Amino acid sequence: MKPIAICAAIFCLALSACTKKKADYQAEIAKVVPEYIEFKEATSIESGAYRISIEALNGKFYKGYNELRIKVSDKQSKQEVKVSAVTFLPIITKADGTKASGPHRYQPNYLASEHYFSGYAVFTDESGANGEWDLYLSFDVASTSYRVQKRVQVEKQANKNLNMVSFKAKDGADYIIALVSPQKPKVAENALVAGIYRYNPPLDAPSGEFPDPGQFSYAEVGGYTLQLDPRMPEPSMGNHSSLNNKDLVQKDDGFYHGVVNYTMTGNWTLNLIMLNQQGQILKGTVVPTDFTPGVEGVKSELYIDILF
Amino acid sequence: MKKSTLTAFLMLLLGIKVNAQAPSIFNDSTKLLKEVKVTANAKKKIETDMKMAVTVDEFLATADNISFIKRGAYAWEPLLNNMSTERTTVTIDGMHVFGACTDKMDPITSYVESNNLSAVDVTSGQGGNMHGATIGGSIDMTRRSTPFGLDKKWNGSYQTGFEFNNSQFFNLGNVAYSTDKLVADGSIAFRKAGNYYDGYSNKVKHSQFQKFNSSLGLAYKTSPLSSVRLDAIFDRADNVGFPALPMDLWLSRALITSATYKQLFKDGWLRALDTKIYFNALEHYMDDTKRSENLVHMDMPGWSTTYGMLAKANFIRGDISSEVQLNLYDNRSIAEMTMYPQDRSKKTMFAYSWPWVTTRYGGLSINNSWDFSARSSLLFGGALGLNYNRSKYVEFNWIFHPGAPQQKTRLLPSLHASYQLKLNQFDFSVGTGYGHRAPSVSEAYGYYIYNSFDRYDYIGNPNLKNEISYEANASAGFKNEKFGIKAKVNVFSIQNYIIGRVLSLGSPMNYQSVGVKGYTSLSHAQLFNFSLNANYNILENLGWKGTLTYARATDEKGGNLPFIRPLSYQSSLSYRYRDFKFQTSVNGDLEQKNYSPEYGEDATPAYTVLNLSADYSFKLKNVSAVLQVAAENLLNQYYSTYADWGNIPRMGRNIYTSLKFKF
Repeated sequence: MKPIAICAAIFCLALSACTKKKADYQAEIAKVVPEYIEFKEATSIESGAYRISIEALNGKFYKGYNELRIKVSDKQSKQEVKVSAVTFLPIITKADGTKASGPHRYQPNYLASEHYFSGYAVFTDESGANGEWDLYLSFDVASTSYRVQKRVQVEKQANKNLNMVSFKAKDGADYIIALVSPQKPKVAENALVAGIYRYNPPLDAPSGEFPDPGQFSYAEVGGYTLQLDPRMPEPSMGNHSSLNNKDLVQKDDGFYHGVVNYTMTGNWTLNLIMLNQQGQILKGTVVPTDFTPGVEGVKSELYIDILF
Repeated sequence: MKKSTLTAFLMLLLGIKVNAQAPSIFNDSTKLLKEVKVTANAKKKIETDMKMAVTVDEFLATADNISFIKRGAYAWEPLLNNMSTERTTVTIDGMHVFGACTDKMDPITSYVESNNLSAVDVTSGQGGNMHGATIGGSIDMTRRSTPFGLDKKWNGSYQTGFEFNNSQFFNLGNVAYSTDKLVADGSIAFRKAGNYYDGYSNKVKHSQFQKFNSSLGLAYKTSPLSSVRLDAIFDRADNVGFPALPMDLWLSRALITSATYKQLFKDGWLRALDTKIYFNALEHYMDDTKRSENLVHMDMPGWSTTYGMLAKANFIRGDISSEVQLNLYDNRSIAEMTMYPQDRSKKTMFAYSWPWVTTRYGGLSINNSWDFSARSSLLFGGALGLNYNRSKYVEFNWIFHPGAPQQKTRLLPSLHASYQLKLNQFDFSVGTGYGHRAPSVSEAYGYYIYNSFDRYDYIGNPNLKNEISYEANASAGFKNEKFGIKAKVNVFSIQNYIIGRVLSLGSPMNYQSVGVKGYTSLSHAQLFNFSLNANYNILENLGWKGTLTYARATDEKGGNLPFIRPLSYQSSLSYRYRDFKFQTSVNGDLEQKNYSPEYGEDATPAYTVLNLSADYSFKLKNVSAVLQVAAENLLNQYYSTYADWGNIPRMGRNIYTSLKFKF
């Protein structure tokens, strides 16, 4: 039986050699793209007997679009306080002392059922060398006005799917486009949501002690269209694109909604063309559709890079 | 009695074959098992007339209805009746094994070796439905198994050889131990080859390969009429070049295992029961880092795991003998695609080319042979199968087919009948068949599978309909002591013929590709195959053999289908003188005129190849030995065939020698 035993031994030896592991697709996607669904307190300010709490996803402010929930409570009883005339203004003070803001909702609206004021802020930069952010809030409780200010930390947005872009368009205005959703795209058809904001230059000189909102005004633009052409920019991908994508148009919530298909995970560029209500191109160029392996994909003059 | 059961076991372990082509006929006149006659189709020894130490591919190539798509020197993809592996079933001892490579770089035939097989059964058309749904037929490779109670307890053989063209060195060893109760056998094979040279003596880069194969079998006789057998095959291929593809194989491994229980019955209708459970796991890792032309590198690993069982029963009642087989299997196919940008620190890009696709099949097949007169017999049978597919990461399929179902169940019926008539020295047959097949994993769920032949990325379609085949076949033959001739013809009319068509949507993903093709169904397609075989024994020790084959296939608009063999011929002469045997053969194809530019084909010129071989048999004590010296493509013709991927040239003159010992 010896030769057979030798055969068997070789067999076992051959079997025990190692191989490659399969990709853990679900874990891989979760690692690259953190998804935040929980609102946590990002900062709080105390004024008189009241405590103002501002909640954001993951309890942090990030560069780009941030949905915010503002709650005012009694310091002692921790009960919700009936407040009115809430205003919210984020301001960045740059290294040279100039001040600016980003798109925001100056008058957050109260959601009675949820017991908070709903607002948002698009932070155009992260805190640090480029400047520091302060939040200015005011509110009335029983005809007494309160004004508070708080320096906050705006962090880098690690999730490229929530990137933003700011630019000057052909109409001479400054615009910001910020991605709102999806946070965690899939290799599939994804609903794509973005906000388009236009900077309103101040008409008058600044007035008052507290920052004048007239100096820092942004408008949510209505009736525009964002034409979409998603492509993989890596030279190796040869300008690869996907199919069944839909341009972004405005819906009732003020955001622009469209559809983007991702055929694989990796780097993607959302090539955009922004059209105004009359269908005139305000920004963006048509990108070539040829398959060009080895050549980095040409991007539109208006684009946002994402990664998942 | 002891002798008779022994005979029965010899039969048992050789495997009693009942199939549509040649049913076994049990002589029922006495109850003694020594009277059991098995006139199954004669098992072909795994060697060709020309070459003693063949690869499985070379052996299969000698069958007149098998042709090959070749992507290099290794792992040829067999085509049966000019149909590729999606339309045929390829099994090992009835076990289903599915390749782990999306680019078909690992047909099942690449996971076995000639020294662990005893025969290959090729059945054309619906007659091949025994192991599952098919259109073109079935190829079943039978594992070598040693009979119980041989006169000699120990048997062995060893073969070594060298091929000069590609410096291929091979060693094949077999050993078997046999007693009345216990049998053990093992085999080891090792081949290593460098790049081969074409007819202009240019090196064909990336055509090297290295293969290790080993098999083990253990059988135990549990009672005079029953036995258990355990089998395992392990195969490993390393550093296999595919000159026609933009990537090579770094490593592929297969473990193919089974446990079989056989029971024979002395009397009654039921004559034999054969139950097998099996498991096989394949892994296949491509490597494109050795190709400097690739600016980007892509990992494309694939895995395929199959569990299954089959149960077979043979019945005899009067003039009717029947075979019933139950097939069950569960396969999971996974293939990944990871691309690395030039800057490796950047995020890689990832997709599934097979998004964890499960295939489950359960089916019952029945084949009957009714000898209603001494001259004529009727073969008829059918099968009914249930095929279930599920794609785990169906989002990849939804990109091109939004809303496609994640799971799909299909019913696959099959029917066939043929009438055979023997009139003195003539024999005739006519037959017909009808059958369905489910789309393959790639056809239904593949995602950006790059096909380097037409340079398109292929997308599967989960909504494809079953392919439905209507088939007719006929044969006529004449045979006497000196001369034999046989003509065979078959026609397939296939509805919902699955093939890739250019999609205007979508853009390619793979570096070399030019566009995207989606698998779609043509309303119908036709295939026609014809073969003519003749042999003539000119003298007692001088014989001639010839084969002619022709095929034609068209789609719904009369356009040509790809990979259809043009008129091909083979003619050989053999001469025996004492312990010497000399052979010469000529084979070739005529010009391929009916090519399909739509599917990436171009016209292939005619070619002729001349081969020569000489064998010398001798004895050293009680070891018998054969020495062979031979040459393939003696005239060093530069050629490539209609089915050579990317028109890569075939091997030029190849002189080889081999030596075989049997002890």
